[in-house]
Amino acid sequence: MSTVLECQGIYRFFGGLQALQAIDFSVEQGDIVGVIGPNGAGKTTLFNVISGAIRPSSGRVIFQGRRISGYGPHRICTWGIARTYQLVRPFASLTALENVLMGVCFGRSRHPPRKERAHLAMAELEFVGLGDKAHEPAEDLTLVQKKSLEIARAMATEPKILLLDEVVSGLTPTETATLIDKIREIQARGITVIMIEHVLKVVMELCKSVMVLHYGLKIAEGSPSEVVHDPEVIKAYLGDRQGSEENSA
Amino acid sequence: MNTGSRTVLPPIAVLCVAGILCALPRFVGSYVLVWIFLLAVYLTLAASYDIVGGYMGYMNLGHSTFFGLGAYATAITLNMGYPLGMALIAGVAISAVFAGLVSYPLFRLRGAYFALGTFGLISLMEVLSNNLRGLTGGSGGISTPTGDHSLESYYLAVITAIATLVMSYLLARSTFGLALFAIREDEEVARAFGTPTALYKSLALVIASIPASLIGGIYVWNVTYISPPAVFGLEIALSPVVMAMLGGTGTLMGPFIGAISLTSVQEILWTKLPYFHLTTYGVMMVLIGLFMPGGLVRSRWLKPLIDRVGLGEKTHYANVS
Amino acid sequence: MLGGIYGLAAFGLSVSFGVLNVLNLAHGEFLMIGSLAGYAAFVHLNMNPFVSAVLVIPLFVMIGVGFYLLLIRPVTDKPLHELLVASILITLGASLAIEDLTSFFWKRPVTGIDYTLAPLQVGEVVISSLRLLVLLFICILAIVLQVYLKKTFVGRAIRAITQSREGAKIVGVPISRISALTFGLGVALAASAGIFYVTLFTVTPVIGIPLTVKYLCVVVLGGLGSLVGSVVGGLILGLAEAFTAYYLGTEWSPCIAFVLLIAILIIRPSGLFGVRE
Repeated sequence: MSTVLECQGIYRFFGGLQALQAIDFSVEQGDIVGVIGPNGAGKTTLFNVISGAIRPSSGRVIFQGRRISGYGPHRICTWGIARTYQLVRPFASLTALENVLMGVCFGRSRHPPRKERAHLAMAELEFVGLGDKAHEPAEDLTLVQKKSLEIARAMATEPKILLLDEVVSGLTPTETATLIDKIREIQARGITVIMIEHVLKVVMELCKSVMVLHYGLKIAEGSPSEVVHDPEVIKAYLGDRQGSEENSA
Repeated sequence: MNTGSRTVLPPIAVLCVAGILCALPRFVGSYVLVWIFLLAVYLTLAASYDIVGGYMGYMNLGHSTFFGLGAYATAITLNMGYPLGMALIAGVAISAVFAGLVSYPLFRLRGAYFALGTFGLISLMEVLSNNLRGLTGGSGGISTPTGDHSLESYYLAVITAIATLVMSYLLARSTFGLALFAIREDEEVARAFGTPTALYKSLALVIASIPASLIGGIYVWNVTYISPPAVFGLEIALSPVVMAMLGGTGTLMGPFIGAISLTSVQEILWTKLPYFHLTTYGVMMVLIGLFMPGGLVRSRWLKPLIDRVGLGEKTHYANVS
Repeated sequence: MLGGIYGLAAFGLSVSFGVLNVLNLAHGEFLMIGSLAGYAAFVHLNMNPFVSAVLVIPLFVMIGVGFYLLLIRPVTDKPLHELLVASILITLGASLAIEDLTSFFWKRPVTGIDYTLAPLQVGEVVISSLRLLVLLFICILAIVLQVYLKKTFVGRAIRAITQSREGAKIVGVPISRISALTFGLGVALAASAGIFYVTLFTVTPVIGIPLTVKYLCVVVLGGLGSLVGSVVGGLILGLAEAFTAYYLGTEWSPCIAFVLLIAILIIRPSGLFGVRE
């Protein structure tokens, strides 16, 4: 097993707000890693930094031995890091197939020949079970279909790392179960998955290791069962009794 | 699935229209020819506006800058004694380079700011053409060598208009077109999925500038005289936008339908009404904005018809490949 | 001086953009109408421009609210992309119609109000006391405005909506009413600035759209939604225009705003006072 992604001392400030502080972690090739933490802990900011949407205020992101922080998101995508969005953002008026085609046409390191593109896109759509929706505008899809579409679009870029931002939130238990299977299949294709998740059950089931963020700080890291029993983590989630009393006073 | 008719029908339609238009000078008087010439000019402007304004969703109110620049550059080159072909190429080249240069700062503006910024570009050009008297003749305008080119320029304008429509049709079905649509929907996501958005936006502006400047050159060759307000004025700036909007942006038929309806309105209404031309434009814009931002093409009674002949909106990228 | 006028009007533009997400391209027209109104009041009623500058505010707040309810309100619920297109069409269309109609009914240009005061001499320097008064008036107006935004309910609501529309909605800010009021306020600021404009410059109906472009420049220069930024941006533009007119000739001063805009976009896209993302 080798390290595929490494973050070294990531800081990110928004004005006076410290969204990320001294984040160090590394991800092994082929793992599924969870990132959890209360709202506003900086999870999505971390994803934005890794995918290049925003630059870290300081620190470096190393991907396959190469520094990627400081490069634009379109570069990082073609090098092999793809993502989905917490609040789904498909290209609304384009069809599902065209959405996935965007990934095929632009997101890969090498552009496939024109004739094959539609087939490649179709294959990803079928993989997430949207084969029959290919020609419908993305805005007409249901939430779970939009989320699946985002996964298909990300998978179409042939990523080495897939960043999933709360893919199961808002879904029914059945839909969640289907998605969990999909994520396992993605792992079986040799793709490393980093997922932000609020639903602890999913994290416990899928992830090999978990990192907990709280107010921009990494407060715990380890296997899921270790992490949920960590006193720091329990305090972060349930609130520090003293602190909450002070707040309400 | 009527994929077959979709790929066969448009070329046939284009050929038929082209054939009719080429044969037309034999049968109709010069009044109709002038009207069709102007229609072709407006159509070219509206269709090329739509590449940036409709496909990519950046409302470029300064599109006529390229028209005026092409017209002035062609006129100046003609006056230096070069043949028409050279002059047109010079006009196109200069405005394409100009488009590439201004695209860098302008595309840092988004949304309404972009619209207003590009609108400011026109007034800059008007000031320049008024002040650089040695080059442009100042507010007195500039004349080109006289001669009756009405028939030749009719053909040139019609060819340019059809070529622009064909280009916009092909563009909508290309990978590049797909990227432009994606930028319109969500630029940040498009970039996150590997689209070099800054480059593509500039490229789209340069591509859109080419037909506009070419038709500007043909226009000045035909009318043999232009002045700053004639090519950088409000009417010429807003007509293509209003036409594309009236017809429906981001579609192939939109600019076409818009251009025909608006030039007809001009023909019927304005010959009788000497005042309030701008008011008419203004009221029309307000009405489009209030009641049908999608344009005529997306309105209830036209959409099914247009979809049936395969000229509806969006890319049909997947159907082609 | 001119900078103060620009700043005042530009702030009106930027505030209503912040709240409504609609860039009012007819903004310059309201300055033009304001200055014509001020002129008419001066000529026919012999009204002091400073008095009319105050009186015009409630009047134009009403006009602005009417404009908003009639033309902007119907499209505010549309998705963002459509709202953008519709708002540009509507405000620009209105702007054209206003300009065209005004120039039809108001044929001759208005060459400044003949309202002079004895010049003031400070040491060697002679300062036009009218200009000084105007400047003072603008400063007072700016301070009143700042206090209004900081202290009153409406002011707080305006700032809240600018920061987070959803958040403001949740805590029960009446978005629609505040929007109308803000739009009116923006329009009134423009009109009020227009009255000072006419004390110094020639006004014709066609100045509206070029002025809107200048406001854009000021807003980009100063950063969105910042009163201080708008005033400083306005001052910079005013100075730049004066210098251009002096060194290159007055015929070049109209394009300096745009050149400045391009320059600032290349060097510092977030504006001089904006926060860099």
